[in-house]
Amino acid sequence: MSDVESKIREIIAKEAQIDASKLTLDANLADLEIESIDLVSIIYNIEEEYDIYIPQDDEQFKLDTFRDVVDGVNDLIASKGAEPSSSAAS
Amino acid sequence: MRRVVITGAGCISALGSDMGAMWQALAAGRSGIAFSDQPDFDGLQIKNCAAVTDFDPDALFDAKELPILDRYTQFALVAAREAVAQSGLVFSAELSARTAVITGAGSGGMTTVDAAYKRLYGDGKLRVYPMTVPRLMVSAASSHVTMAFGIRGPAYTISSACSSANHAIGEAFNMIRYGRADAAITGGAEACLTRGTMGAWQSLRVMATDTCRPFCIDRKGMVLGEGAGMFVLETLEGAQARGADILAEIVGFGMTSDAGDIVQPSLDGVCGAISAALADAQLAPEAIDYVNAHGTGTDINDVVETAALHQVLGKHAKAIAISSTKSMHGHALGAAGALELAATLKAFEHQTAPPTANFTQADPKCDLDYVPNSAREMRIDAALSNSFAFGGLNAVLAIKRVN
Repeated sequence: MSDVESKIREIIAKEAQIDASKLTLDANLADLEIESIDLVSIIYNIEEEYDIYIPQDDEQFKLDTFRDVVDGVNDLIASKGAEPSSSAAS
Repeated sequence: MRRVVITGAGCISALGSDMGAMWQALAAGRSGIAFSDQPDFDGLQIKNCAAVTDFDPDALFDAKELPILDRYTQFALVAAREAVAQSGLVFSAELSARTAVITGAGSGGMTTVDAAYKRLYGDGKLRVYPMTVPRLMVSAASSHVTMAFGIRGPAYTISSACSSANHAIGEAFNMIRYGRADAAITGGAEACLTRGTMGAWQSLRVMATDTCRPFCIDRKGMVLGEGAGMFVLETLEGAQARGADILAEIVGFGMTSDAGDIVQPSLDGVCGAISAALADAQLAPEAIDYVNAHGTGTDINDVVETAALHQVLGKHAKAIAISSTKSMHGHALGAAGALELAATLKAFEHQTAPPTANFTQADPKCDLDYVPNSAREMRIDAALSNSFAFGGLNAVLAIKRVN
């Protein structure tokens, strides 16, 4: 498990108040009943953690499964061309 | 109960600095939404907004007066001047004591708040401009309107986020209807296109990255606007006695709260407010010709509002022209209902429904007649103007043409 995957799992579990073990890579976020208001907070926390901007458009950033989020964030970090920042970013 | 009419109207928005300019844009389906390159927005992802551009404060206000006026108060005063001038009302000592000023604002002096915080936190300065407090007060616009016209009756500000203006106008209507005032200056004002506000809305992820396309399948959200709309209200009897031109009669006002979610609207709450406005107006659904929708362009609002219009208006919903003029003047938050009442008054005058601009293809869940892209000449005798705020505070006005 990558650091990014475990960090994002931790963020989602905390913000949506769900059990982290439910966040398998293929878990569908809608099935986990993550509300849109929680999603907004999840996105904010991920953006802060990695100093990235997660595009709003579905075509540019899929948010269906947990894997989509991890892959998408990894792509954004790679395209930024920088190491993921530590908690010092916040 | 006394009948209450509107005898003066004024507005300023991205569509222009008076009622005539606004109507020219609305009738042409011309949107005031544009990408802003102002330096304060550097680094933000969302830079689309409907900003007031045709506006020169130095030419409009005395050099001594201007430093105490936040941009939102300036807008309120510009709109109030137009409305009072059109009404021809002269505020004698007697009338001034019987006139109310009730204005709506979502946040009031945001440009002042932003500038003060930037100095203290951003620039490391240790003091802010001394008039910061009187500029930023959410009630500042009401106070300045009383001072500008010598109004000495009840005056205050109503703040209910995006419903602020409708709540203010509705309360002014009730005050005159029930005899607690004989006239009122009412409406809403907002100037929220600051770095702080844009950044905050960006984080909610409800802002469109392109433009505002209410009710469309490819809509991406709302676009912030700014401006003010102000109106002079008085009794029908008083207006007729002095031979004033009557723009419209306010016939009903419906309010509900969802008691639900802080950001998501509820169908029940929205239906309740529309029903209450119709009942208050003693109007059947079939009497309504035009609805100026809340129509923010967010996923949820447009679906819920459409469902509510179906539920309350029944089969007649499909026969009504419905438009969201936010597609052109943007979502001016606490001024929204006032700009939309201004648009509705012009719709009465020209017997033309303004369109929903930027329209592509309707969302299958939004299956009503949204007057896409082109204004439509039609008979408009009665209309509703909807406002539904974050936090579930709903306020709907019912308006009729007076022949």
